[in-house]
Amino acid sequence: MNAVVFNSVKKRFRHLPALFNWLGRERGGATEALRGVSLEVPAGKALVLLGPNGSGKTTTLKLISTMLIPDDGSVTICGADTLRDGGEVRRRVGFAVANERSFFPRLTARENLDFFAVLENVPKTVRSARIEEKLSLTGLADAADTLVMKFSSGMYQRLGVARALLKNPEILLLDEPTRSLDPGSALRFWPFVRQLLSAGTTVVLATHNFQEAAAVGDRIAVLRLGEVRSEREFGRNASIDDIKSFYFNAIDDSDVAPVFEAAP
Amino acid sequence: MSQVSLTEKLIAIVRRDVLTTVRYRNGFLLSAVGVFAEMLAFFYLARAIGPSFRPEGVDYFAFLVVGSGFYTFLITGVQAFLSTVQEAQQTGTLEVLMTTSTPAPVLVFLSAFSAFASKLTNLVLFLVVGIFLFRVPLLHPNLLGVVLIFLLSLGVALALGVLAASLQIAVQRGSVVIWALGSVWFLTGTLFPVGALPLPLRWAAWCIPMTHALAGMRGALLLGRSTAELIPEILWLGAAAFILVPASLGVFAWVLRRGRREGTLSAY
Repeated sequence: MNAVVFNSVKKRFRHLPALFNWLGRERGGATEALRGVSLEVPAGKALVLLGPNGSGKTTTLKLISTMLIPDDGSVTICGADTLRDGGEVRRRVGFAVANERSFFPRLTARENLDFFAVLENVPKTVRSARIEEKLSLTGLADAADTLVMKFSSGMYQRLGVARALLKNPEILLLDEPTRSLDPGSALRFWPFVRQLLSAGTTVVLATHNFQEAAAVGDRIAVLRLGEVRSEREFGRNASIDDIKSFYFNAIDDSDVAPVFEAAP
Repeated sequence: MSQVSLTEKLIAIVRRDVLTTVRYRNGFLLSAVGVFAEMLAFFYLARAIGPSFRPEGVDYFAFLVVGSGFYTFLITGVQAFLSTVQEAQQTGTLEVLMTTSTPAPVLVFLSAFSAFASKLTNLVLFLVVGIFLFRVPLLHPNLLGVVLIFLLSLGVALALGVLAASLQIAVQRGSVVIWALGSVWFLTGTLFPVGALPLPLRWAAWCIPMTHALAGMRGALLLGRSTAELIPEILWLGAAAFILVPASLGVFAWVLRRGRREGTLSAY
């Protein structure tokens, strides 16, 4: 059974023109974030999304979480349509967002998690134990009573993962989950994701990190300019070089060449 | 089926807001000092004007304390809720909150309620200081009337708060509601009676919910008007709450859907 199904999904962001547009440089128009994407993620498997900046990875995750709704096509999560049955989808999906600051800065890590646990309908009888478990899993037990405004980027990121796991989601969305982690923490994070997969959780992960893709992905999709350019099953023992070559074959040189070129 | 009750959710939201407020220690202290400063200003203003000025038949100092205290409560409640939404947009928390298992309209209404609850402390402090320290005279207050007027006014202000939040999410300018409410304060009978205004402005004043909230509260608290005598204010505020609460939640749901479509939930 497929946990996530994208059926010809289109997503377009209109650039709303400023009221006094003639005063500035902003122009109307639109960005085609997704141009008819179709994807399937079987339950208990991991799909890794690779792609250059602006290729539509985060948009894909936001569409699964119902932060966004599609303009055309449909997104179905465990049989529930995100447009018609958003509540049901939200009960099943946990999202560790890339925005690390999405917490209440003057609450401690434990207070933040307690607040979100209530909103996620985690019953009172198991709430404290669940919070302790997630704090411990993410290595934040010692910082549980620290105001999150004092957290480093990596701690914020781990807290984001803890929050996404609070409701023991069937589908876990991870947006660049190790971007701010130190290498040691990242190396420990990937086996942890594999454990979740073994327990039946479906994972959709967006990343720029080939090592992460190799460590976590059952299947890898490369997005470019809102389209799935290539998609392939990778075995557990996929090498980073295999994934690199798969990625660079799928994208254009123009995605790489214009940035960070030395001046002549 | 939710395994967490609405009350539990409300407590969690109030707890979050209280903890955040008290941890801004200086702001908390300054607002308490502000209450005393305002009270002193009213006391000397009333003394300067003299005891013969009794608007709507009540002592002018009492008129000011109840009018300004209640009006400030209603406006700062709307403002506090709007600030919560603005901060949530800036930090990206809003998007996360809108994808929890709690339906967005429930969450937004409980958050608005909590914002008003935090300002209730100021109102109580204002009235307690006024009554016990500055001897505001109370003539057999009608407590049932006070509660009714308070709840109905709160309902209207909650709806205005949700509308401000909707504007904030839609066009990032929820402060327009605060500006509008701030601009019409002189019509509402906060510092002087509505009867002092020319007829066209009295009609305009009649259309503003705060005018009826203040008239009702002064009538119940300071003049001891019976509940039957308060019926015009109760009916006006009741009708406004009946229309505005569901309308504001409808507008919010529409704005939220638009934000999800345009990807502007966290635009600020």
